[in-house]
Amino acid sequence: MSSGQTAALGELRAARRRRFVERLDVMEVLYRVYLAAIFGGIALVVIAGWVEEAPATAAAVADMKEHGPAVLGLALALAVLVGLRSGSRGGPLAIEAAEVQYVLLAPIDRGAALRPAAWRQLRIAVLAGAVLGAVVGNFVFRRLPGSPVGWIVCLALFGALLPVCALAAALLGSGRRLRPLVASAIGAALVAWSLADLLLGATTSPATMAGELGTLPLQSGESHLVLAAAGLAIALALTGLGLRAAGRIALEAARRRAALTAELRFSASVQDLRTVVLLRRQLASERPRRRPWIRLGVASARHPVWRRGWQSFLRWPLGRLARVLAIAVAAGAATAGAWSGVTLLFVLPGALLMVAALDLVEPLAQEADHPTRRELLPVPVDTLMQRHLGPSFAAMATVLLVGVATALALGAPTTVAAVGAVTLVPTALVLACCAGLSATNDPYRYVLTPQLGYVQSAAPVVIAVVAAGGPVLAAREAARHGGSAVGAAIGIEVAMLLIGVAMAWWLGRRMAEQSAVAP
Amino acid sequence: MIAGVDVQADPPVLAATGLGRTYDGFIALSSFSLELGAGELVALVGPNGAGKTTFLTLAAGLLEPSSGSIAIAGAPAGSIPARRALSYLPDTPVFYEDLSLGEHLTYVAALHGVADAGARASELMERLGLGAWEDSLPSEFSHGMRQKASIAIALVRPFAVLLADEPFDGLDPPSRDVLFELLAEARKAGAAVVVSTHRPDVIAAASRCVGIRDGRLAYDGLPEADALAEFFEP
Repeated sequence: MSSGQTAALGELRAARRRRFVERLDVMEVLYRVYLAAIFGGIALVVIAGWVEEAPATAAAVADMKEHGPAVLGLALALAVLVGLRSGSRGGPLAIEAAEVQYVLLAPIDRGAALRPAAWRQLRIAVLAGAVLGAVVGNFVFRRLPGSPVGWIVCLALFGALLPVCALAAALLGSGRRLRPLVASAIGAALVAWSLADLLLGATTSPATMAGELGTLPLQSGESHLVLAAAGLAIALALTGLGLRAAGRIALEAARRRAALTAELRFSASVQDLRTVVLLRRQLASERPRRRPWIRLGVASARHPVWRRGWQSFLRWPLGRLARVLAIAVAAGAATAGAWSGVTLLFVLPGALLMVAALDLVEPLAQEADHPTRRELLPVPVDTLMQRHLGPSFAAMATVLLVGVATALALGAPTTVAAVGAVTLVPTALVLACCAGLSATNDPYRYVLTPQLGYVQSAAPVVIAVVAAGGPVLAAREAARHGGSAVGAAIGIEVAMLLIGVAMAWWLGRRMAEQSAVAP
Repeated sequence: MIAGVDVQADPPVLAATGLGRTYDGFIALSSFSLELGAGELVALVGPNGAGKTTFLTLAAGLLEPSSGSIAIAGAPAGSIPARRALSYLPDTPVFYEDLSLGEHLTYVAALHGVADAGARASELMERLGLGAWEDSLPSEFSHGMRQKASIAIALVRPFAVLLADEPFDGLDPPSRDVLFELLAEARKAGAAVVVSTHRPDVIAAASRCVGIRDGRLAYDGLPEADALAEFFEP
C-alpha cells in the first residue's frame, strides 16, 4: 500500500471519528452513564450484602486445585469452538457495506485496512472480559484460599483471555476460509482434548494450560506457573495469527454480515429482541431443516397448534439443538455449583435458560410475526397464543430435565433431584411465558418514555432468573439450616405457578389488544 | 497502459474460463467462458436470475468461483492488480452515512492512488447534475441521485475494466444521455465496459452482446434484435 493510500485511509478514519464525536449528544451520554452508575451501584451493593460466601471445605479446595484448570480450560475450548464456527461464517468483523465496496475493492492491503477494526474488537473484549473476571475474582477470594489481589488479577487475566481467544479463533477461521464442518471439527477436537484433561486430571491441552492461569492463587509449585505461562503464550500466538489472517476475509461473507449487523445494531438499540434473535440466526446461517428429524404421523383436526409447535421443533438445525442442549448442561452445572456454595451462580441458570426459551417459543413468535394471518383464524387471539405456549412449555420442561440430570451427574445431592421434580412444571411455564413476552414486546411502545421500555425488556429476564434460581437457593438455605429443602422450594414454586398463569393470561390479553381486526 | 491504468498483461483485459458458481446446491453460473478486449462495450443480457449479477460480482472479486477462474488484466479477480484495473458499479448504491459526495469522490480516488481528483470529481458532478450537492450526504439522496452519485464514484478513478450492473435504472432521460457519453468516453480511452441491462437502447449502443440464460453463456455476438428476442420473452 503506497503512503498516499495509507494516508487517505488514515485521514478519512480520523475525520469520521471527529465527526462522530461532534455529533454525539453529550447530555444523552451523561444521562446514560448516570443511570448505569445508579443501577450498577445499587446492584453491586445488593449483591455484596446478599452474598455471604462460606469458605470452601478442604475437599472442595482440593477438588478445585485438581480440576479447576481443566474446567476453565474447557470453557476456553468452548469459546474457541464458538469462535471458529463464527469465523467459518465470516465473523467476527462487521464491516460497513461501503467499506467493502470502496476500501476492500481498492488496490490496497486488506490486512492493513481491516486490522484496526479487529484491534478495536479485541480491545473491547479484553476490557469487558477483564472487568467480568475481576468481579468474579472479587467473590472467589472470599471462598477460596489465596490473596485477594492474586485472585482478582488472575481471573481478570483469564477473563480477558476467554473472549480474546474466541475472537482470535474467529479471525483465523475467517481468514483461513475454514468450512463450517472443518471449523466445528477443529473446535470439537480441542473441546474433547480439554474434556479428556478434566476426566484424567491432566494438563495437556493448550486450553487447560490457559486455565491454569485462572487458578494460580490456589496452586503451589513452579510447574503450574510454567503451564500458565505456556497457555498465555499459546493464546497470544493465536491472537497474532488471527490478526495476521484478518485481511484474507471472504468479501461475500463480509457483504452479507454488513447488511445484517447494521440491522442487528438498530434492533438491539431499540431492544427489539425478536428481531435480534432472527437476525442472529441469519448471521449464523441457521435455517430450519428441509426434512424434519422425525415426520409426524397423519394430521388430525385435533390440537393443530400443539402439532404445529412440534413440527417447528422437529425442523431445528443441528446447531440450535446443540446450543439448547449445551445451555441445559451449563444451567445444570451452574445449579450444582450454586448448591455446593457458590451463591452467585444462582443467577446463571435463569439467564442461560432464557436464551434457550427464546428458541423454544419460536412457534408462538412466528404467529406474532404474522398478525393478519393470525387474526383471520376462527380462534380468539388470546386463546391461540396461550395454546402456543403448550409445546414451548413441554420442550422447556425437557430442557430442565437435562439440566437436573447434569447437576446430579456433577455430584449434586439427590435433594436437588427432588427440588427439580417439584420445580419443573412452574419453572418451565414461567420461562416459556417470559420468553413469549420478550418475543412479542412492541419495541416502539415506549419510545417516548425509554425508561419504561427498559423495564419492559428487563422484566422477563429478571423473572426468569428468579424462577430458575430462586427455588433452588431457598431449598439450599432450608437444607443448610435443617429445614425441608423440598418444602421451601414448594413455597416459592406455588408463587411461581401463579406468576406463570398470570403471565400466560397477560400474554394472550396483550396480543388480543394489539389485534387489528375487531373481535 | 489502458485508460490510465498500468496493465501488465496483453489483451484480453477480462478472461473467464469455465467459470461456475453454486449457492447451496443452486447453480447460478456454470461453465461460463468469456474474453473481453480493450475498448469493447458489452451489453450483458438475460432474464432475471439468469446469472448476470453473479458473473459481475465474480469478476469484481466480491464472490469466489466454485469452479473455473477469472482474470482481470492478467491477474486473478480480487487480487491487488485486478482491483487496480477494475471498477465495479453495483446495482444497489452503497455509501458511508457520514461522508459527503465530494468526500466520497476524493477518498475513493485517493485509495486508487489519484492524489488530486478535484478536477475529475468536479467534472463528473457537474455533468451528472450533482454540482450543487457536493457537500450533501448521498445516503440521504433520492433513488436517482444515489444512482448518479454511485456512477460518479465508479468513474472518478482510473480503470481498464468497468462493470456496471443495471446502471441506467432510476435515471432521468438527461442523466441517461450523460451516462451514455461517459461510457463512450471510457471505451474511447481503451477501457472495456460491461453493462448488465434490459434496455434495448443500451444494447443497440453496445459493440457486442453477451446473453446468459440459466447460468450458461447462451449468446455472444453482435447486438441483433432478432437473435436477442428470446432473452426478453416472458
